[in-house]
Amino acid sequence: MHLLEVSNPVAQQRGMMNILRTNPRPKSLDGLTIGLVWSGTHGGDLALNRAGEIIQERFSDVSINFYTGGNYPTPPPIVKQAGEECDVVIGATAD
Amino acid sequence: MIEIEKMGKPAVPIVSGRFEDDALASSRAFGMPDLQFVIVPRIYRNLADNLCVTQTEEVMDELISCLTANSTNDTTPEDQESTLRYEGEDRFDAILKMNSDYTRRDWSDALPVFPPTESAVADLISGTSLPSDHVVCDMPPGFGLATVEKIAINSALAGAKPEHMPIIIAAVKCLSEMGDHGGKSLLMSTSPHAPILVVNGPIAKEVGLNPRSALGPGRDNEINIIIGRAFYLCLKNIGMWYPNKMDMDTIGTTRKFVHCLGENEDMSPWPSYAEDRGFKASESAISIFVTDGELDVQDQGNTSAEGLLKTLAYGITFGNTTLGGSRAGGHERLIFMPPDVAGPVGGEGFSKKDAREFIHKHANNSLGKMIQYMPLGDARVHENWHYLRNQTEEEILSTEVPLLHSPDDIDIVVVGADRAKTLVFPSGPSSATIGIDQYR
Repeated sequence: MHLLEVSNPVAQQRGMMNILRTNPRPKSLDGLTIGLVWSGTHGGDLALNRAGEIIQERFSDVSINFYTGGNYPTPPPIVKQAGEECDVVIGATAD
Repeated sequence: MIEIEKMGKPAVPIVSGRFEDDALASSRAFGMPDLQFVIVPRIYRNLADNLCVTQTEEVMDELISCLTANSTNDTTPEDQESTLRYEGEDRFDAILKMNSDYTRRDWSDALPVFPPTESAVADLISGTSLPSDHVVCDMPPGFGLATVEKIAINSALAGAKPEHMPIIIAAVKCLSEMGDHGGKSLLMSTSPHAPILVVNGPIAKEVGLNPRSALGPGRDNEINIIIGRAFYLCLKNIGMWYPNKMDMDTIGTTRKFVHCLGENEDMSPWPSYAEDRGFKASESAISIFVTDGELDVQDQGNTSAEGLLKTLAYGITFGNTTLGGSRAGGHERLIFMPPDVAGPVGGEGFSKKDAREFIHKHANNSLGKMIQYMPLGDARVHENWHYLRNQTEEEILSTEVPLLHSPDDIDIVVVGADRAKTLVFPSGPSSATIGIDQYR
């Protein structure tokens, strides 16, 4: 029998060295401002707008803000604006 | 979405099915492994409007849950075993078992790899003066820590030799200095963007890089293949460039069997590519280009500079052009110009800059064909092009425009054996070049 010992080629990821947790969620979307961030990809706007409509149907006093930079990735100022102006944000991604 | 979470606000992306592993890998790369997302089965981009709506309606309960319920995803980093053990009837059998397991884990290119034993790795580390724990860079697209040791392990898999290490280390570093986060977006694209490495200076001959018929399989390209393969395996296992995780090609390309080649400096009439970038001829340097296809432009008998360059200018007007506001990949041209083209062109007094300007001036094409019948109502169409919405298809087809924005979008590297057959690649973002000698 032969025992072969070899090294693992996979590196540690920088992102996994200082893990961030997602933020606590609101119990309800009632009264909140929902941000919809669209990358400009065909169909993503339809998806986000429909999601916004359904949330408005199911919760009361919901405001919807729609954001787009017209291209992927969404420009940082647009992302920042959505983060500042909204309580929660939904994005449509994956080309 | 992670950027918005970092601002203190809950954020949830809607992700298309094939991209679930990509979303998981990206959330790890950017340090938020418990990012919540919902999956729809189909990519929106080429989906009929009614299907875009219905597949979204079907995930609304889950989407609302992600917005109103705290994440329960496990964020514990996986324990990495630093040493793996394979038992076989003999050494050959153990190596076969190792190969089978490495392929299963997707740590290789699916061809047999060499065992990265402790002694093989130590041998490779001796090829550089850097310590084994030195972090060369965070390698895109997944931003793994590219220590000299990890680079050596992946180089061992490829069958590299210690004298190759300075080139491989420089290549890893060079990628991290390209454009947008080391070309992260392009590497993760659904188009087949692939890196190619060009070495200038004394080290190319020292290690035996082939500058003639430099691409493709076989004995003559042994070193070109080994170094390119080592770089690819680094990109995979350090940069996390795993297919269907952070490499999302629709079809893929054989150019991802990465090659490294030397410029044919002996047969070039011009200073080398690295000299154009400020290096001395006595210094060794590596350049990385990201390519998005390739075409053989054949010259059938021109002997004058103008004839040869017009063949090239007309030949490079393939591919597409963007109507977006940003410069995407594939909108430059990397030209591997053989000595039978470069020689006469340089011989008639054209500098490399002159040749680039000539090619740019003559490389024009139908706007309508280069935008490939792009829907002009798309949000990505920049406002500068909105006037096209009022034009007929015939008008757009008959509008001739330059292929490239500027002569600076053309890179010329002299490569090849005898015969005026030029290899042209759509490329971009702009290449990066760094010195190799610092890693000796």
